[in-house]
Amino acid sequence: MGSTFLPSLPLQFSYPLLFAVLLVAGMLGGEMARAARLPRIVGYVIIGMVFAPLGDAMSFEPLIDAGRIFVDLALGLVLFDLGRRMDLQWMKREWTLAATGLAESLLAFGAVFVTLLWLDVPAVKAGIAAAIAMATSPAVVLLVVQDTRAEGQVTERALNLVALNSLLASIVTTILLASAHLEAKVDVDIALLHPAYLFLGSLALGAAVASVARLLARTVEKTKDLHFTLIAGMVVGAVGLAIMLKLSVILALLAFGLFSRNDARSHDLLNVNLAPSSRLLYIVLFVITGASLPPSSLMIAGTAGLALAAARFLGKFIAVLALAPFGGLRLRQAVGLALSLAPVSTFALLLQHDVARQYPDFADVSTMFLAAIFVMEFIGPVAVQVGLTIAGETAPDDDVGSTTGRHVARIPGAEGSR
Amino acid sequence: MPLEFKTSAALSLGVELELMVLNTHDYNLVRGAPDLLARLEKVELDGEVKPEITESMIEVNSSVNANYDDLRRELKNVRDAIVVAAQRLNVAVAGGGSHPFHKWHERRIYPTERFQRVSALYGYLAKQFTVFGQHIHVGVENGDDAVYLTHHLSRYIPHFIALSASSPFSQGEDTSFETSRLHAVSSFPLSGRMPAVRNWGEFNGYFDEMQHYGIVESMKDFYWDIRPKPEYGTVEIRICDTPLMVETAAQLAAYAQTLSADLLRHRVDRALEPMNRVYGYNRFQACRFGFEGVIVDPEHDRHVRIRDDLIETLERLGPMATRVGSSMALLALAGAAARQANDSRWLRERYMETKSLPDVVRMQAMRWRDERVAA
Repeated sequence: MGSTFLPSLPLQFSYPLLFAVLLVAGMLGGEMARAARLPRIVGYVIIGMVFAPLGDAMSFEPLIDAGRIFVDLALGLVLFDLGRRMDLQWMKREWTLAATGLAESLLAFGAVFVTLLWLDVPAVKAGIAAAIAMATSPAVVLLVVQDTRAEGQVTERALNLVALNSLLASIVTTILLASAHLEAKVDVDIALLHPAYLFLGSLALGAAVASVARLLARTVEKTKDLHFTLIAGMVVGAVGLAIMLKLSVILALLAFGLFSRNDARSHDLLNVNLAPSSRLLYIVLFVITGASLPPSSLMIAGTAGLALAAARFLGKFIAVLALAPFGGLRLRQAVGLALSLAPVSTFALLLQHDVARQYPDFADVSTMFLAAIFVMEFIGPVAVQVGLTIAGETAPDDDVGSTTGRHVARIPGAEGSR
Repeated sequence: MPLEFKTSAALSLGVELELMVLNTHDYNLVRGAPDLLARLEKVELDGEVKPEITESMIEVNSSVNANYDDLRRELKNVRDAIVVAAQRLNVAVAGGGSHPFHKWHERRIYPTERFQRVSALYGYLAKQFTVFGQHIHVGVENGDDAVYLTHHLSRYIPHFIALSASSPFSQGEDTSFETSRLHAVSSFPLSGRMPAVRNWGEFNGYFDEMQHYGIVESMKDFYWDIRPKPEYGTVEIRICDTPLMVETAAQLAAYAQTLSADLLRHRVDRALEPMNRVYGYNRFQACRFGFEGVIVDPEHDRHVRIRDDLIETLERLGPMATRVGSSMALLALAGAAARQANDSRWLRERYMETKSLPDVVRMQAMRWRDERVAA
């Protein structure tokens, strides 16, 4: 009875269906988290963890490989958006900002490095892990900022610091990979050329894409819709090019954002809001992140992972608090800022995934690292939300003068100087 | 208890300027006032900088000045201090009567008990009141003079509207008005003009009655275009949009001062009723058409273009301007009127060039900083 027009069994699961399931389930999970007054991200990640065993049961490739294109696109958007928010002019005027960025990255690096050495991890591996740990998750911070509609000094500084530490982390990681190459007895030429190619190539790619985007922007009318299409296209294109040229997606997109920022000279590109449409990809990003975190890592290296996460946060916390008075931040703002830097970057997951694939003996550090990411994937978003709230920068849930006004029948003197 | 009118030096001068606080990436309004004010607290300034109803606004209050030159100098100093503080915080500050494209519902009420109470009572009106005006205070010696000036300055309200207009855009659209800000003010129940009381005694009677009804508690509850301000001993003109530059703000104040000086010296005894009857119409003409508006002049039973009426008045005030030291200011205003160059026109021209409201606001902020604007 075999009919050729019917699908053959067993049914083949396809990418569009995968995307749809992750998206809708993630969205629902996010709203459940929201109902519990938790950041939506926590919901996305939990959904991913629930889905991971199901995927295994259906003998799927690991989700992180299958969904890599979604992850890269989502990260591309996040990093572009972040690069756009990074303001070098401001860092020039307000030296404490750049100083804080350097200090918190270095202290986090140092703290994690020392902790790992103490856990008997070889220096090169510990260095790579510590370099990855410098970065704060751009996606977590951006998404919590969007969800809480946070605005103000702490929010702006947090976004700039995240951009800065992501940049530093990918530079230092690239350089340390060279040492890993050396340890792996690769040619010295390659060991030096590879990081140089990654770093300079990615920067050049970002700059080139930004120039093309500006050129194209000049040829069309300056409307939000057109510029949105242009930017979305260029971001996806830049991700594609970076992958094709084996460059760093992270560095290239951060550079693209930074170079397309409107400075005193050029204002060709509108600063369109990417949030509503990029949300689709972000949801999938975090669901996949959740699915990629093996709970087993907690059993094997839970304590070490916790120690690592704690050391990292302590480094950032001390640096931010020490420099806060020079930047005119009050204590609440400083604590809020430090908390906002807590989330471990999701790209840490990718980096460790990539590094571990190239160097299998990185696996033991990986497990510790995964345990740390595992913990921070829940604590991180909550920390950002709490941080922005105590800094007083999140939007109140309902600040529209509601029915309560009716009872204030007589408001004489209410309006003051107006 | 009757309101006590505090005497102040006749024709002394002060202004309040409401300003917008902007982010520097898309030039939307941003919640920057608390941090900006905290920074400015540490700076020694004449006058003060205060919070306003939403967290994207600040208000500059000048000190009491004797003349135009002093006021202009002071405003420039305060402006420079604000610019420096804003740059450290990576926010921008700008003049202009309305933010061209912000969405009112995104605004946040400044967390003081008083502002929260306004918000609770007025609902969305409070957030829609995110508009930016200039208030001019002219000192008078007694309440009777204040009442007199409040009535007779209203004849010149269209001039102030046309000269200061700087809010042609609202909520992302060109409103076709020279100033859209005044519509936000008109929604409040006690807006409009002072009733036809003849002196401070009668004013006190009126105030007592309103207080007895429980409608008002203090003078602050009246949102009139012009009102006596007994606590300061001034007449307060509240009709102007905040200009894009502090120089214009000082010139407008100088014009109010010179007009007051003239009205006090050459007392007029016009009947109030005809003036009151045409007031709303004239005000609309000025809001909608600016210098090109045509107003009714009941005293001479004629229609007259606002620009012509303004230039005529400025010429007539020449000798008085020399006396109070406002000649340069009035000359500048006459030039602007002749060229029909107000801030609304400047903003519309920038929009024609760039086709982008965020770019317009960016240039608005540069103009406030007194930087040359390159389109």
